[in-house]
Amino acid sequence: MVVGLAAREAGAQDPRLVSRLDKPTEAAVTAIVDSARAAKLPTAPLVDKALEGAAAGSDGPRIVGAVRNLAARMATAKHVLGSRATADEIKAAAGSMDFGVTARDLARLHTAAGTRSLTMPLAVLTDLLGRGVALATATNLVDQLTRAGIKDSELSLFQRDVRVDIEHGADPAVAATTRGHGLLLKHSRSPARPAE
Amino acid sequence: MSGGSDAAIVARVLDGDVEAFALLVARYRDRYARYAYHMLGNREDAEEALQDAFTRAYRSLARCEDPERFAAWLFRILINRCRTAGARRGRRARTFVADEVAVLEAAEDHPADRAAWREEIGRALAQLRVEQREAFLMKYVEELGYDEMSRVTGVGVSALKMRVMRACERLRGLLTEVQNA
Amino acid sequence: MRDGDNESIEQVADELRGTVPVSAGFDARVMRAVRAMPRHVRRVSFWSRLTTPRTLVVTPWSWGLVAASVLVLAGLGVVQLSEALHAAAGPAATALFSKASKPATQRVQFVLVAPDAKKVAVVGDFNGWDASHAAYQAKHRGGGVWSVTAPIPVGHHRYSFVVDDSLWVADPTAPRAPDNDFGLPNSAIVVEADK
Repeated sequence: MVVGLAAREAGAQDPRLVSRLDKPTEAAVTAIVDSARAAKLPTAPLVDKALEGAAAGSDGPRIVGAVRNLAARMATAKHVLGSRATADEIKAAAGSMDFGVTARDLARLHTAAGTRSLTMPLAVLTDLLGRGVALATATNLVDQLTRAGIKDSELSLFQRDVRVDIEHGADPAVAATTRGHGLLLKHSRSPARPAE
Repeated sequence: MSGGSDAAIVARVLDGDVEAFALLVARYRDRYARYAYHMLGNREDAEEALQDAFTRAYRSLARCEDPERFAAWLFRILINRCRTAGARRGRRARTFVADEVAVLEAAEDHPADRAAWREEIGRALAQLRVEQREAFLMKYVEELGYDEMSRVTGVGVSALKMRVMRACERLRGLLTEVQNA
Repeated sequence: MRDGDNESIEQVADELRGTVPVSAGFDARVMRAVRAMPRHVRRVSFWSRLTTPRTLVVTPWSWGLVAASVLVLAGLGVVQLSEALHAAAGPAATALFSKASKPATQRVQFVLVAPDAKKVAVVGDFNGWDASHAAYQAKHRGGGVWSVTAPIPVGHHRYSFVVDDSLWVADPTAPRAPDNDFGLPNSAIVVEADK
């Protein structure tokens, strides 16, 4: 197996793809990965997506479609977030786009973030969308929280509180905006708040 | 029951008697066809998901931990197949199902006749979030208890009750509007 | 939790409970597909289960080969080292690359309450979504509580629990991640480095 791999060309097959996908699917996925690498996009998420599809028992075309979609979303994310975006930010951004976040939404969030990482805000945004908060409400809210400089650890707690509220019967949008405003209020009172 | 208990038939299949599997197919196809049809909204997708579920069940039959509960185990496979099928169509279908106005305008007559009523129900169901639709169908159509639903979906009972409640609220709202139109 | 006005819902349910007949030939189609598959034979030996290509599993021993092959490729300069690391990510492989920069990991605990489960595993983009990976098998702690603590690279990840090798369950306590690609539930986790 080692010899076989060594004989292949540059940027070629990931052995996990070879062992878990049929030939045509593996070839198609590898081609997408190669293009992504050339475009300086993170390639590990693409391989992971293919492995997820294999684990889920999906058919080849479905897997290829998902990998291709992810590559396209990551390309958009990278374009919006810029060359200094980390792989995690690109991954998280691509995930949020799966729930309908647009390039424009990302651009706004990018501006709001300044120099902080967008990974956590994007993960929280994705979660809110996944729990049924409408796109406009969720993006506005996360935009505000990000702009206010709410730390990742507090965003994580915010997500947890909203989840628990929803589990207790709250309407998702109401829970999110209520908790969000509470967090903003608390932050604006804090003496340590950085100057705008 | 012809063929004996599920566990007995599973044992036969695992011993190499392929044809015995047909007994399980015949036993469960109608019940689960109903679930798949209401989840996915059309016959072709439903049958594809159901067929897929049966073949996967056959393939991994040795991993069925409790053959006495084959039905629940098969149902779980079907739930997953329906989710996968639904997700595949999700992007295409989304713009249609999200539009409540379209539902109201499409109800041309007062749905006194059965076929139109069924169609309205179908449309209303399609507007539920997937997890709510699943929970509603399991509770009210497949008539599972919450404990069974929890076992089969891996979701907690209170969350399931919430989903069923939300589904009922939404359905009531959508169908009242249609009837009053 | 009451459903409120039940009558209208009962009417709806009544309508939906009607039989939905499958098309003629459904049973035959299923059986045709089933007959084309390998016949079950009871008491499959451990070795043949390992070597039968039925399920696509990266078994623990093959991680070594993956790591070794990645080393060769890296040596040939054809693969970026950091990507090679990511591709071979896993406790065994990480140990081989002591010189190069390796992704920092944190030990993360995953907990699922699943009283009826016989087996719970964590799958995610940190272990190739492999439900049989040894380091990610949860142990039953009693009372339906399953947990496992495993090294997860710093950063953003998606994962899920697999119950009894058949049911994918999102982590109820974690942020949700999209499941549109394959329809199976996913959760997200952002692992932070030690400050």
